[in-house]
Parts: sequence; structure tokens; C-alpha cells
Amino acid sequence: MGTLVAARAAYVCRTCAQHFHKQLGLRRGYSSSAAQPDIYDVVCVGGGPAGLSLLTALRSNPITSHLRIALVEAQDLAKMKSWKLPRDSFSNRCSSLTPSSAMFLDRIGAWKHMERDRVQEYQEMQVWDGVTGARIEFDWAPGSTSPAGTTIAYMIENLNLTSGLLRRLEELGGVSTFDNARVEKISYGEETEELDLREWPLVHLSGGKQLAARLLVGADGANSPVRTFAGIPARGWDYGRHGVVATLELEGEGWGGANTKIAYQRFLPTGPVALLPLPGNHSTLVWSTTPSNASLLKSLSAEDFVAMVNAAFRLTPTDLEYMHTQGSGQADEYSWRLQHTKFDTWAVPQAVTGVQEGSIASFPLKLRHADTYIGERVALVGDAAHTIHPLAGQGLNQGQGDVQSLANTIEYAVSHGWDIGVAMSLEPYLSERYAANHVLLGVCDKLHKLYSVGSGPLVHLRSAGLSAVNALTPLKAFLMRQAAGNGIKVF
Amino acid sequence: MRATPSRHATALLRPGRLYARRGAAPQLPLHPSQPTQTRHYLSATSSTTASSSASASHAPPPSSSSPYSVNATEISHFSALASSWWDPHGPSRPLHLMNPLRHDFIRACLSSSSSTHQQQRQQQTPTKLRYLDVGCGGGIFAESAARLANTAHVRAVDPSEAVLSVARAHARRDPALRGKLEYLCTPIEALPLPDDNNNNNGGYYDVVSLFEVLEHVDYPAEFLSRVARFVRPDGGWLVMSTIARTWTSWVVTNLVAEDLLRVVPRGTHDWAKYVNAHELEAFFAGAEGKGLGRWGTPRVMGVVYVPGFGWREVRGSEKVGNYFFGVQRLG
Repeated sequence: MGTLVAARAAYVCRTCAQHFHKQLGLRRGYSSSAAQPDIYDVVCVGGGPAGLSLLTALRSNPITSHLRIALVEAQDLAKMKSWKLPRDSFSNRCSSLTPSSAMFLDRIGAWKHMERDRVQEYQEMQVWDGVTGARIEFDWAPGSTSPAGTTIAYMIENLNLTSGLLRRLEELGGVSTFDNARVEKISYGEETEELDLREWPLVHLSGGKQLAARLLVGADGANSPVRTFAGIPARGWDYGRHGVVATLELEGEGWGGANTKIAYQRFLPTGPVALLPLPGNHSTLVWSTTPSNASLLKSLSAEDFVAMVNAAFRLTPTDLEYMHTQGSGQADEYSWRLQHTKFDTWAVPQAVTGVQEGSIASFPLKLRHADTYIGERVALVGDAAHTIHPLAGQGLNQGQGDVQSLANTIEYAVSHGWDIGVAMSLEPYLSERYAANHVLLGVCDKLHKLYSVGSGPLVHLRSAGLSAVNALTPLKAFLMRQAAGNGIKVF
Repeated sequence: MRATPSRHATALLRPGRLYARRGAAPQLPLHPSQPTQTRHYLSATSSTTASSSASASHAPPPSSSSPYSVNATEISHFSALASSWWDPHGPSRPLHLMNPLRHDFIRACLSSSSSTHQQQRQQQTPTKLRYLDVGCGGGIFAESAARLANTAHVRAVDPSEAVLSVARAHARRDPALRGKLEYLCTPIEALPLPDDNNNNNGGYYDVVSLFEVLEHVDYPAEFLSRVARFVRPDGGWLVMSTIARTWTSWVVTNLVAEDLLRVVPRGTHDWAKYVNAHELEAFFAGAEGKGLGRWGTPRVMGVVYVPGFGWREVRGSEKVGNYFFGVQRLG
């Protein structure tokens, strides 16, 4: 156990806490029934962006800063905090942060702890239909404004985000951290002469430590043990698709130069392929495709992989399909087929020239939504509550939205004397977030399905729709503002 | 001695019960100078009183020697409700949902404290407040008050042992309450009065709360006279919430009609709503003459329960249904 700064016991009164520490000292041992638990107001399982943002929000708010907080994380937090990469090298796991998520991080004092020169904002989006070529260009009409200026989103490495949050949390202090810790089981507390903790979740850590939680927060990912403990089912389906990610090098800084960066997304019948700008001439790839295509892509040489990515933004779906049947030699195939394909050079990303070694990876795509986000003394945030198709880059932002809402709910409960763990005091969080997340999950799911269709009348309809939106400047501006906001809209 | 929770939600829909409640109301000598009107009200009400609570309305007339404010029927009523007190989806749900508004109201009262008293208080006890919660029931307010960071101590009293055993058992579930919350089974008349010579603030309280209690008391004026003595003379607050006599119950009374014609030129609603605030205001305006100390101008906040959304402050609604009433003791 490492303690960032000695934990303060305030909400749980000092004497009780000391009492329990003493008890623990007397009875240290493996027998879980004999050991007395440490009592916390919030025990957060999971030190990812959602969990860390929540704790940072609680610690940075004077109304909730007296809460006794514990963080449980399986990985080594010191390693996460001291994460460092050379300037020209980028992690392949990046997220697109909306301005409202960035503003939230700024409000809780974490934004300035990010390595800002590794964060890349973009101002334009090019989205088009791979089958018909129908296109929507999201650029700001002259004179149009948004609260966040012209930034649509910030591309940030997940590790930059978590290490920045950890540094902010260290600056704030007051969180008992249990890292490199496995949650062995979660049970309920016991009744003693003085206390009745039978409704309090009890987190058993490897090594025998026990943490009793007034509120147990599940920020523990898609397979959330906290969600399982609370008996909350998560429903959904697998898309039968994998997301292939990679860090790429382009021939230049992009068609807009260093100050106007552009994100590209092309809908192919196998799934969308997206190229999102990173600083300099780097970009990050997210390519949703079939599992067999994904394993082929991962098996290719760097040269052939680069050719496939360039092809994905330029060649016809038929050409691409053929190239996925080749075990190798895509680079030659691409340069030959490119000569016979008409495309607008300025409307597709600059040519990819290289792939960062070891950065190609893939993961299965799923849609999951928990039946509820709250239970008695339990709240779920981020991926523990919902897993979304990555095509809109909204997964992390949904988690940030959850965290903001839960932190506000806890603040309200504390300032009104409510027990922050009881389901009733958590109800505002559920009602604020569930519907919003559900709509977004649904929209992304429908988009995925709509663009998976390779032929037929639906293809023409969707193209007509995309072209119509593109022609309507005010509607587009509205959609862009929605995208820059935090929540419901996709593009 | 809390309200039947379901009553909050349905108060306006179930005037029959209100009549029954108000059967006792005319006996409350809030207007000791207007015995005639009181009689009118009594006669009008008893003709429409629901039989279920007829016994309450036929209670013996008030006498100054009446020992306790406690009504035995009310006690048994709430004792029967005890087990469901903390069920978030049980009949007490509206009370749970109302609780945060009580704190908002108290906060508004405290921050409106007259500046000299605020300064005095800050010099004497810089931060933490002492509460007396009268008619605490299962402890919804008492627990929440004890959890607040600026609370020194909460003493909560209720005459029903059954209800208090629920309150005590529930408080054991929260380690943060230990040492800050104390329950006493007693009617307020049996609680020793503050003693000015005593240390420990002489047994006075910074905030004395009476939430959803007044409407269950047979003789509110006497009850209030007793409760008021526990409020710190140098700027403490007495806060309460109750339900206004609604238009449905008052429109039919001669009292309303007569007063309507005499006091308010138009709108029966307005008049009927007006009277409750007026009664309490009149009580505290005249309190000094009865040796109950000097009181400031009361604050009133009306709230409305919207099923599915919870409680909302609605300006002016204190004249229709549930409302908060707070008054600061200035001497």
C-alpha cells in the first residue's frame, strides 16, 4: 500500500478511524473474518481515466475534499505516473476528448498536468461514405463560433491523461492508494456492538487488507467485478468486428498545416476507418474491420500495412477486399491500383509513410450497457457502465460525463447531509446519465449498422442524407457544436 | 410524530383527512383574541369531519394544565409506520426527498441572520451548530443534520419508543454519526428547559427544528410556546415545516367566508392560504408579550411535490400546501 499523503479521517470521525486502525493493528492476519476493515467514504476500484477523474473531482472540491477516499488499482501507479515517451513516439491508445471534457479536466486542476505538447486539437472533420463517396465536411463557416473556439476535439494519449491525473491527485493528496492490488472478493460487512455494516461493501485485497465502503465506485472496466458484485447485468452484443490501432507517420503535418488539423473517417462496408491527428506529422489509426481482416493487417510488413491504410482512404471497397486476400505484396498492389483510381487528393489524408514499430494492435468491439449505474452503496462509471462502438470517439467522453455527474451528485448529498452511499442519494446520477448514454450508444450502433451495408437502396438513402446535411451550413454548425459539447450527439 | 408520508403527496387530493386533522385545529389557540371565529370554524368542520378520525376532533377542549402535546392516536399511528421509515421506496419516500430542502431552507435562514447576531455568534462559537430536532421520527432529518460538516451535535426527541428504536438501529449503520447524534424518547414538555446559569450554552440550541410535526399536535400554541424556549435567545432559529389548511378545507367554513369578506376583497384561495402564515406570524409577533422572547420577521418557503420529480420550491405555494417557516430569536 502506498499512501499519496496521509489519509485524513473527517467524514468518518477521527476517533472511529483510529479505533479501527488500532483494531487492525491488534488483529493483523489472514483470517478475513477476524480482521477489522478500514472504513472509507469512497472506495474506487479502477485507476483508469474515469476513476482518477472522479477522485480528482472529489478531492479538488472543498465540499467533498474531507471525504475519506481509497483507490484500488491492479497496476503499478508509480509506473503510470512517471510514464514517458520520446517526443517523436506516441502510444497507440489515444482518445478524442471533447472541449467540454477538457474543460472539466481543467476545472478539477488536471489539464495543466497533461503533457500539453503531446496533445493535438483538431478543427475539421472529413467524413465520407466509402461506397458512394457522399461526403460531409465539418469545417467552421467563416465567422461561426463555438464556446471552445474552433476546436472540435483534442487527441490525447490515454497514458498522458492518466499520468496527468495521477500527478494532480498527488498534488491534492489525501487518497489512500492500494496499487498492484488484486480484488480477491467483495462481500458485505458485519454487525458489531457499535456498528452495523451489513449493507456496506467490503473489498478484500490480496494480502488480507479489507476496505469497507460507504460508496463503492466501479471504475473497473467492461468486465467490472464491482458490477458483478452488485448483481447488475450488462446487456449488449459483440459487433463481430475488431478495432485495429496504430501510430502512423504522414508525409507532412496535414493539408491544413500545423494550426488547422483535420480528422478523417471513411465508412467502409466492413466498418469505419479513421485517421486522427497527433502532433507534427503523426496520426493515430482506428480501423474497425472483421476479425480476419484485423489479423491479416497485424501480420503484414510495415510497408504493406502502410499501403493498406493508404488504400483504405483511397481505393474502392472492391479493391480493398481483394487486397485483404493477399498474404503480402500489398505495397505493389496499391501503387498499381492507385493509378487507376480517381480521388480528390485534398479530400483524403496526406499519404501515410510509416508505422511506429510495435504500435499495431487490435481489440474486439462490443456494445454493452449496464441495466443501471447505481445500487445500494454502489455506483458504476465509464466502461463498467457502458461500452460503446469507437466510431464516434465518445467512449472516454461518456466516462467523463459520468464522472462529472457523479461528483456533482456526491457534492449535493454531502452538502445536504445525505449518506452518499444510499441508492436514493445516487438517483440524480442515474437519471442524468442513463438516458444520455443510451441515446449515444444507440446512435453509434445504428451508424455502424447503416454503414455496414455495401449495396442496395439504403446506400443511396444514407448518401443522400449525408450530402443534404453537408449542403446545409447552419445544420452542420449545429452538429459540430454538439460534437464539441459533452454528450448526446455524435458528429 | 411525523406526518403520514403519503399525506404529503396526496394532501391536496384527500381533503377528507385534512378535515379530520383540522378537527383539532380550531382548538389551537393561535388566535386567542378571536374566540368567535374559532367557534365558527369548529362547527363548520365537525359537520364534514371524516368519521375515521372523529375521536381526534372530539378530544377534550384545551386546558392550560394539559400536560403533553402528544396525541396518543398519533403516536400509535407513527409507531405502526416505523418499520417502513427508511425504505426508500416505501411510504416515507416523499419525506426522504423533501429532506434536502429542509437544509436549503435552514441555510437560507442562517445566512439571513441579522448581522449583529451573526457577528456575535461567530465570535462566541465560530463554526459548529447545535440542533434540537423535535418529533424526529425515524431520524431522516436528525441523521442528515448530524452528517453536516458544520454540525456540533444533534439531539433528537420523539415520544414514540417504537419509532426511536428504528432511528437508533438505523444510525448504527453510519460510523460518521457516532458522538454527533443522540436520541431521546420524551415529549417536549418533559425535556428540561434551558438554564441561563448553566454552562454549555445553557442548554439552548442554535437550530430547533419541527418538521412535519405541528399538524399532529393537539394544541399547537402551547406546544410552540414550549419549543420556543429552547432556541438560543441571541440569534438561534426555530424552523418548521407543515401543511397549510387548503382551500378545500377552508372554503366551506364560515370563518373563511367571513374573513374573506372582511379581509381580502377577492379570491378565496388567497385568503385561505394566507391565514396559516398569518397565524404563525401573529404567534411570534405576540410572543414577547407572553414571555417567549423577541423574534424577527419570519421566512416562509412553499414547496410542492411533483410525483416523478420530487419536491420543488414554488413561490407562493406556502399558501396552498406544504411550506417551511423559520423565525429567528432576537432576545
